[in-house]
Amino acid sequence: MNISYLRRDFLQAAGGGFGGLALTAMLAGEGRAESHHAPKARRVIQIFCPGGMSQVDTFDYKPELEKRNGKPFDPDGNLQFFASKPGNCQGSHWKFQQHGHSGRWVSDLFPKLATCVDDMAFIYSMHSKSALHGPACFMMNTGFALPGFPSMGAWVTYGLGSEADDLPAFVVLPDPRGLPPGGIINWGAGFLPAEYQATPLDTSNSKQPIVDLFPPTDFKAATSDADRAGLEFLEQLNRLHLDSRKDNSELDARIKAYEMAARLQLSAPEVTDLSNETAATQQLYDIDHPEAGPFGRQCLLARRLVQRGVRFVQIYCGAENTTSKKIRPNWDSHEDLPRDHGYWGAVLDTGASALLKDLKRQGMLDDTLVICTTEFGRQPGAQGGTGKGRDHNAGAFTAWLAGGGIRGGVGYGATDELGFKAVESPSYSYDLHATSLHLLGIDHTRLTFYHNGIERRLTDVHGHVINEILA
Amino acid sequence: MKMLCIAFMACVVSTLHAVADERVDFESQIAPIFQQHCVRCHSSSDRKGDVSLATLEDLKANEYVIAGDPDGSYLIQLVTSQNGKPPEMPKEAERLADADVAKLKLWIQQGATWPAGVVVKQKAKADASWWALQPLMLAPDAHLNSERASSEQADSSDLAATIDAFIRAKLKEHQLQSSPPADRRTLIRRLSFDLHGLPPTPEAVEAFVNDPDPQAYGKLVDLLLDAPAYGERFAQHWLDIAHYADTHGFERDKRRDNAWRYRDYVIDSLNEDKPYDRFLQEQIAGDVLWPDDEQAVIGTGFLAAGPWDFVGQVETKSPELRRSARSLDLDDMATQVMTATMAMTVNCARCHNHKLDPISQQEYYQLQAVFAGVRRDDRVVSDMEVKTYEEQKLQLTKRRSEIDFEIGRLDGEGLNLADIVGGGNGLGSGKHRAAIDPRNAQVQTRDFGKLDNVVTNKFSTSDFAFIDGVFIPDGEDGTAEIPVSSTGTAITGLPKTSGNAWDMIRNGPVASQHSPELGGIDFTQAPHSVLGLHANAGITFDIGAMQDAMSGQARSLDNALRFTAKLGYFGAVGGHYADVWVFVDGKQVTHFPRLKREDGLHVVDIELPSSARFLTLVATDGGNGFSMDQVGFGDPAVKLAVPAELTTEYRQRLEDLRKERQKVTEKLESLEAPARFFGVVAESVVPEVRLLARGDPESPIGDALQPEAIGSLAMLNPKLGTLESSEGERRAALARWITDTDNPLTRRVIVNRLWHWHFGTGLVDTPSDFGFGGGRPSHPELLDWLAEELVRQNWSLKAMHRLIVTSKTYQQVSYVDGTNGGAARQIDSDNRLLWRQNPRRLEAESIRDAVLFVSGKLNVKQGGPGFEDFQYQEAYAPIYTYITADKPELWRRSIYRYTVRTTPNRFLTTLDCPDPANMTPKRQTTTTPLQSLALYNNDFMLRQAGYLAERVQQDVGSEQPAQIIRAFELALARRPTSNELHLATDFISKQGLFALCRSLFNSNEFVYLD
Repeated sequence: MNISYLRRDFLQAAGGGFGGLALTAMLAGEGRAESHHAPKARRVIQIFCPGGMSQVDTFDYKPELEKRNGKPFDPDGNLQFFASKPGNCQGSHWKFQQHGHSGRWVSDLFPKLATCVDDMAFIYSMHSKSALHGPACFMMNTGFALPGFPSMGAWVTYGLGSEADDLPAFVVLPDPRGLPPGGIINWGAGFLPAEYQATPLDTSNSKQPIVDLFPPTDFKAATSDADRAGLEFLEQLNRLHLDSRKDNSELDARIKAYEMAARLQLSAPEVTDLSNETAATQQLYDIDHPEAGPFGRQCLLARRLVQRGVRFVQIYCGAENTTSKKIRPNWDSHEDLPRDHGYWGAVLDTGASALLKDLKRQGMLDDTLVICTTEFGRQPGAQGGTGKGRDHNAGAFTAWLAGGGIRGGVGYGATDELGFKAVESPSYSYDLHATSLHLLGIDHTRLTFYHNGIERRLTDVHGHVINEILA
Repeated sequence: MKMLCIAFMACVVSTLHAVADERVDFESQIAPIFQQHCVRCHSSSDRKGDVSLATLEDLKANEYVIAGDPDGSYLIQLVTSQNGKPPEMPKEAERLADADVAKLKLWIQQGATWPAGVVVKQKAKADASWWALQPLMLAPDAHLNSERASSEQADSSDLAATIDAFIRAKLKEHQLQSSPPADRRTLIRRLSFDLHGLPPTPEAVEAFVNDPDPQAYGKLVDLLLDAPAYGERFAQHWLDIAHYADTHGFERDKRRDNAWRYRDYVIDSLNEDKPYDRFLQEQIAGDVLWPDDEQAVIGTGFLAAGPWDFVGQVETKSPELRRSARSLDLDDMATQVMTATMAMTVNCARCHNHKLDPISQQEYYQLQAVFAGVRRDDRVVSDMEVKTYEEQKLQLTKRRSEIDFEIGRLDGEGLNLADIVGGGNGLGSGKHRAAIDPRNAQVQTRDFGKLDNVVTNKFSTSDFAFIDGVFIPDGEDGTAEIPVSSTGTAITGLPKTSGNAWDMIRNGPVASQHSPELGGIDFTQAPHSVLGLHANAGITFDIGAMQDAMSGQARSLDNALRFTAKLGYFGAVGGHYADVWVFVDGKQVTHFPRLKREDGLHVVDIELPSSARFLTLVATDGGNGFSMDQVGFGDPAVKLAVPAELTTEYRQRLEDLRKERQKVTEKLESLEAPARFFGVVAESVVPEVRLLARGDPESPIGDALQPEAIGSLAMLNPKLGTLESSEGERRAALARWITDTDNPLTRRVIVNRLWHWHFGTGLVDTPSDFGFGGGRPSHPELLDWLAEELVRQNWSLKAMHRLIVTSKTYQQVSYVDGTNGGAARQIDSDNRLLWRQNPRRLEAESIRDAVLFVSGKLNVKQGGPGFEDFQYQEAYAPIYTYITADKPELWRRSIYRYTVRTTPNRFLTTLDCPDPANMTPKRQTTTTPLQSLALYNNDFMLRQAGYLAERVQQDVGSEQPAQIIRAFELALARRPTSNELHLATDFISKQGLFALCRSLFNSNEFVYLD
């Protein structure tokens, strides 16, 4: 039961063109493709920490590195990293402790997440094919270090369609400070039809959470009454036009699209309005905190979205192309890791831990897969004159997953004694993607789409399901 | 044939059984088994179960194969049934025949020899007999052929009839027939959007509908093909394939401000109907084949049109990351050329042999070798233009310098020594921070640190005007004789130094200078200047030459000069100091021992009598190391000792000179820099290309590869040169190979693209993949006939357009009703047989352009830099913030848009405008609620609806029926039906004209073509 074939057959039956199909994925309950096997997870929330989160300061405990503090990391001088030659070994800037029944090590950067470790599975042996932000972000999101490929969310919606009939199937919540490295094509549909691309929700704009949801407020002629009347008239025109072209299903689909757009005008403001969440919930996500609040809001919104049937939500914890200067705009801590990871760590800690606890409390964690990842890790050797920074490291980073069929409290794979390279069960994004698709009931080798000569996959020609972290 | 084959196999098997002792030949007997049954999953690139059968390594390492012991070999257990269960392997291929198992056993028995270097590779599904690789078929149908051959000057309608004959023949096979022709109103709208990407004007519609001439349709086609909007329309199709954009893409999506010249090149080439073979040749190697033809040179912008990773190729310090980015860059170039021109998916052979098509991994890298010698960069359009420009600039600069000099001489302002060190004439023509190298008197522009290869006390003669030479002094405890002039003048008595030197003698601060400021003066700010002289270094100026230059009839006095400066130590405070010395003709005239920052500025004022020849300035390190010894002579000047009064005559002369200077300066400033475009430039040497195992740039294997094309096209010679061929020769050879008239793919591919653009689906429905993974031609004979016709039409694309759109097939109705529906919909729901025309949704750009056209706001300005409908903010990764396009500069056609890769225009993306990271041979059409929102609520759309309302009001006044009729005519190229008129009258009276216009822009009919 190959999903791509299912869909291709459907397209052919629909008379060529993607019109009919489009609706099913964008906003619809009908026409969902069947899974390859019974799914454990029905939906995904992915948190992406762009810039490169340090593994040795967060989840990957390396006592040996601490022991070698101040000793040359690369005594022979053979290595050249992205921006520098390695300095001395630099142990974690935060103290590590064991937590939970599972006794997983977490650094003091994440006091709140540390209380959730028994729900989290850690892949300590992640690595990437690129140590450049753009290509590595693309790889983590699309399986390829080049622009132009569909993101995981696009693949999942292509494969499974939507459960919501009044919200997009794939929503992205970018960092309010700006776009991640590589821009919006991180959540693009690549060569998949455009309806599989993410719809960005702008939480800072309650009047217009989706671009063009309503006419600009300063456009006087477009009153809500006129809007409605115009849509009615439009439908009449379109129905008359359709009369002599009944075989063209795209025309009918287009009429329906306007109806769905009208529904979206009601549902989108409702879902982004956090005010009817209880005070306790708002407190849990700390949504009014000046620094951690914006990310907390995104996490809370993600929960509301999946609650309403959205299939895939991606949240960015960090930006890139923004002009703010006080701290680094994302995790890319070349000069001062205590400052920058210190800031972003607190942001992630609050939002992500609240999300896990809230989902669990609502009974949703069981069938909601939560993924937290970054594009690559950082070097165990210090960077910069003061030695407080760390350069890029494609050789090792940590990703964690929770909920949706994940076995909590386990660790998978390992880096070397300094946390420099993944040595035990090295895993690329392919394995993370294969595992996630597996939990959603999809065999990653059979979710394909023909493009320029190749039946493309999210996992290219690679990928193994990591059974060790499955419940 | 099949029978024979089976018989042969049987024969082999029985032979094996008969003579079990005969040696099994690995390559002919064992390798095919692995190839057929195993390596698809167990190869070096896949290694399912951690075992590869591509080479012997894995098999031996894990006891899959134990030489001499077939029964102990795990491999044999896997492929034979155990305990009554079917064999475990192969999982996804046919099980091995018993005879094959027997062969394997025998091979192991005999020692499992695997000849060195043999790698078992999966066989491609298609081989050289694949249809697309065959020569063009001549149309088999005799009457089609003879009809053609008999009339050399057959007009296009006869030829178009040939198309219809092919189509009808196929329909007939399926008992189907063509649909009736569409009415003229439908046809003109279809043709306008198809050929121009714009709707027709109501006036053009009426004229065409009422034209009594039976040739009216043909005339309309010619008219449309001749208009510039044709090139603007089809350029977009070509740029889709070239994945063109105006920024680099990737993480730092920097601007590519000269890219537009290639976009204009494509538009112009199409409009002038450049022969297609020439069009391709120019885009691949125009700079080599026609270096003096600007357009041909700009054509190579094609090779550079795709994304480019600045961080990976330039910014990072890691050589490994650079190799990786470069490898992907070459892949992009080779892939684009081969898929665009020949629809060969060579990119699939980067990591392994192509799994479907006969393209080996080696051939892929041989193709890369064609492009290995170029990189993407801005490039001047014409070397001639550059030469002229530089000559003019040089002449004007020279003249201005002469004038300055004379003014200076008349005016007595003297010569600035810092300017001279910067390569100038002493009057301001030198470059700030340009320098002279104290080791060898060479010009230097970049910054240096501690100098290597220092030889102390060696005088280097200089070619600079007024500089005799330079040296790096070491007094060796006062004993050393240090030569300080070209005539052998020497000084003694200098102290011992460290013998080290830092950076250059500069016009400005030296490298890493602590501060340019001393004594309250910032010497980098006009009108100040500073001669940077870091210890240890010395420089000798040619006073004699200065006297000659400054003397003249304007002056009545003798040639006595004076040297003035503000000397200081620009390094940091805190124990740092240097010694500074001034000599005239080898005699010390002043000495500043232990000069340090705290001393501030010393005024230097030294008389240079008319007998003086050389002025020597020296800085030594004070014996405490040379760190921080940043000595500088501020505002250093040599001028006449006694300024003299000017005569009237010379005052006039001075005035004339100043006027002339003004003129020359204006000319200099108005000189236009030579045009640049974003294309490819040659590397100084062509790097060697080797096959990369698994496509990994860190794993090159084998010998350097020659440039070579694909061997499976048997009619062509794939050789494109040797290892010694220059990069230009390589590209030129590839261009010729691709456009060789015997190359069947190039022609099939372009006529199929034309077909795809005119019908929405190609005869092959994968326009950039003619391989096994792509579609099969629905009308192979027609495809080949069109490909032949292209050459008969001298590769004219316009002729081919004309041919296709004047066919009856093209002019059919697109709807289905009782007359044409029934059977056709059952038999051919996809309409691949073309029993009707396909209805089509407009592309994103066409929707935008049509809105502007209908509202009357379209700005038809052609060519030039793209319009920017965003605010640009410089940053590490620049920020592009879109604005509402609401002024004439932003109302140009979408083809002239400045296209940003990482931040595409959201409005257009929503309407299915593709991501220019991808080569897009085929646009996709989706229908989403976000599109409805964009068309209904977007600020641009609302404003345009407002402008349409204004236009209608202007055209017909405020009468309602007239307004409605006019709005329909403009937007939909027809008058409203009485029913529509009735509905619209009711609507407009309640909601107004604006609301009507807004709804029309959103209507299905507006965005769909019948």
